[in-house]
Amino acid sequence: MQTDPMTLTLFVPLFGAIAAFVLPRAASVIGPFSVLATGAAVALLAREVLAAGAVTVSLGGWAPPLGIALRADGLSVAMLAMTAAVGLLVSLGALDALRDARQRQYFWPLWLLLLTGMNGVYLGTDIFNLYVMIEVIALAAVGLTVLSGTTAALRAGLEYMYASILGALLFLTGVGFVYLQIGRLDFAGLIAAEPSGALSAALALMLVGLLLKTALFPLHFWLPAAHANATAPASALLSGLVVKAALYIFLRLATYMPPPDEMLVTLIGTLGAGAVIWGGIQALRAERLKMLVAWSTVVQIGLIFIAFARAGQIGLAESWKAAAVLILAHGIAKAAMFLAAGRIKDEVGHDVIRDLDRSAIRPTLAQFTFALAAISLIGLPPSLGFIGKWSLMEGALAAGYWHWVAVTMVGTLMSVAYFSRVLAAFLRFDRVRAPVGEHQGWALADAAPLTLALSAITLGLMAAPILSFIELGYPFGATP
Amino acid sequence: MTPELIYGLTGIAVFGAGLAGSLGAQDRLRRVLALKLASVGACFLLIVAAWREPPAAPDPVPHALVITGIVVMVSATAVALALIRRLHTLEAEDDAD
Amino acid sequence: MTDPFVLFDLLLGLAIVALAGAVLCVRDLFAAIVLFVVFGLFSALAWVRLSAPDVALAEAAIGTGVTGALLLKTLHHLRQSPAKAGAAPLPVPMPVIWANAAFCGLITLGLAAALVGAPAGGPGFDALVAEAMPQSGVAHPVTAVLLNFRAYDTLMEVVVLLAAVIAVWQIERGLSDAPSPALGEVWEGFARLVLPAIVVVGTYLLWKGAEAPGGAFQGGAVLAAVGLLLLLTRLYVPRPSHRGIARWAFVLGTGAFAAVALLVAGGGRVAFQYPLEHAKTLILLIEALVTISIAVTLAALFHGREPVAQPARRDSHDA
Repeated sequence: MQTDPMTLTLFVPLFGAIAAFVLPRAASVIGPFSVLATGAAVALLAREVLAAGAVTVSLGGWAPPLGIALRADGLSVAMLAMTAAVGLLVSLGALDALRDARQRQYFWPLWLLLLTGMNGVYLGTDIFNLYVMIEVIALAAVGLTVLSGTTAALRAGLEYMYASILGALLFLTGVGFVYLQIGRLDFAGLIAAEPSGALSAALALMLVGLLLKTALFPLHFWLPAAHANATAPASALLSGLVVKAALYIFLRLATYMPPPDEMLVTLIGTLGAGAVIWGGIQALRAERLKMLVAWSTVVQIGLIFIAFARAGQIGLAESWKAAAVLILAHGIAKAAMFLAAGRIKDEVGHDVIRDLDRSAIRPTLAQFTFALAAISLIGLPPSLGFIGKWSLMEGALAAGYWHWVAVTMVGTLMSVAYFSRVLAAFLRFDRVRAPVGEHQGWALADAAPLTLALSAITLGLMAAPILSFIELGYPFGATP
Repeated sequence: MTPELIYGLTGIAVFGAGLAGSLGAQDRLRRVLALKLASVGACFLLIVAAWREPPAAPDPVPHALVITGIVVMVSATAVALALIRRLHTLEAEDDAD
Repeated sequence: MTDPFVLFDLLLGLAIVALAGAVLCVRDLFAAIVLFVVFGLFSALAWVRLSAPDVALAEAAIGTGVTGALLLKTLHHLRQSPAKAGAAPLPVPMPVIWANAAFCGLITLGLAAALVGAPAGGPGFDALVAEAMPQSGVAHPVTAVLLNFRAYDTLMEVVVLLAAVIAVWQIERGLSDAPSPALGEVWEGFARLVLPAIVVVGTYLLWKGAEAPGGAFQGGAVLAAVGLLLLLTRLYVPRPSHRGIARWAFVLGTGAFAAVALLVAGGGRVAFQYPLEHAKTLILLIEALVTISIAVTLAALFHGREPVAQPARRDSHDA
């Protein structure tokens, strides 16, 4: 049996999930190894894409539109690599962070199924296939959200479930209209299609469904509670990786389908601006650390959409790159931040921001990680977040759209403000007159987020190779 | 008045009803029901699109898609209902304390 | 031939829409669920009219049957615990209802316009499927699409079922010690008679799927009814020691499907590319194993919990 790396990136986590489920006692070993193996498959795939541009495989030997094809180009591989790398580090962090045996038992099968679904999204070229993958992701993600079992987590999980199902149904109805109009479901068919009423309806439905799943303002209502109440590794995966899958599909669809007109692009950008402002306000008001970090995700998602809309409809051919860089930056930094926040909560015992400096325990390594992650999210050089924001503003300025630049600046100032709330709480030593309990040595649960946060900052130095990589295979601008 | 037109409009009406119900529903179980209605509406759309004037056979691919959709929907419904049951149990305990 | 049926179609369509509205507006939740089941069966009937018998079977068995059972079980659970003070949901203010209705009404109108404007009997996969059927290994087009042409989607669909049962097991656990719902001896007698019949029907549906409407999902759902009956009559009570076998049963379908898909690759073939001479055998094998998995999974979703012995301090809640 020989098979190509693309198929392996899908099947390795699937078999890992099955193994982790039927052998619950070995789950903590099977889990990280499966993620590592998936990473190896992604590396092989990256090599192929570097050599050959885009790589395609038609599953079952049936070519689209009858069959389903998998396609990997630069953007797909970048997303796959981010998912594998962040996933591996979060897995390592989870080994230490999950205390409860039951949580450990279920985390691994759910996370590996999530990984299967996400890899499927990044390699998919058929919109119904994407629908099924979205559902795989949704169920696994809800399972992870409620892993902690608290009432708050369950409530948030139920809201997430409702939003998820609704989003998926809107997407499915869109798929129905696409079939009605053009009789095929693959990306190539979408690119070749002519605009029509049914296709516009389909595009609208699918986009609203995706916006609901990626939590763009004002459809973000389910996200803060869900991400804040989940256990730390689950939150890291949810905020860092899960919301990106729907975003990725949005990027593909919005460019492949009959060109969205200027109004639509502006609308998207405005919603993004709303997310930045509203999310920023809520983050400033947040009382708990994890809630603040969750609202920061809402802000960053908004920022990604502003990046997409930065130069209006004409600039879409280039804007997607800024959005992609921001996606990568946010995925890495947010995962680091949630893991660090989880460590802080574990060590100090609570995560109420106002009282963080009243504790005698100072989880210094976690606090340092948090600060590093904040640097990338705020967008200070040389982090990858800085590259993304810079790219956003540069494109907007070139096209003359000052309003996006203004909103981004306001957003950046607000993020400095709310992250400073937390960092100030870390730094005030005078509140507690007790021997400051320094962090005792290294823990795996600290090393993982620290690595992620450092990567977020240093990857900014590699911006040029990253940008040229994601252009491999011409993700947009040519038929896949 | 072909069957496809009649059932197509039926499906869209059901989808709209389900959408309205899921946005405005009062209790949790009702929201699940509304979402199920909307999913049946979406399935109607696909099947109507696959229908061909007899004696031609309909296009089998949307039928396969709808079967997949039904199974996926029952899975999602089962998880949502499990969440509702568990929440209810926890809330009943919280109230008893 | 179409003329007399137009009236039938109109009436059925109206009935379906009316039932959908009723489901949402009726006060009593039990009535809503019953109306939902009727709605589902009428929809299945409509789909038969639209020449989609496989889908009608699937909807009747899974979409309405299993879902109805799940809903009723949940309602039973909700009604067992005493209603909390202030549990009655706040009535939604009228302006919100009207705004909601108007909003959704507009969307419905827009979608209807899009529907009417789209090409009727338009392009599709018809020609491609007809061309590829001889190489699929089965005679029934829907089965060929599900298990050969688009087998990847079907694999992922089974993965969704697996994800659901893992999530449900994670969410709820416990052993049901409470007395069973009052089904009584007549019911048990009926169950003993009807169970073998159900097994035959379910297996027949699976077997027939290669040539006629039927297949793994419909057969699996009917077989799940066996599981549901066994659970309801307490002829079978899940115990913690059964968990291992249950887990293997859940993953059997997915694992076999994925394994076959990978194993056929190599020697110039890609994943899922069944060699022509073995295609029928492989498809039937996969379908059989998937049917077992589906039946056990749906029954487990109905049971709704992982059978784990709970510490004694908490009163066990319902069945």
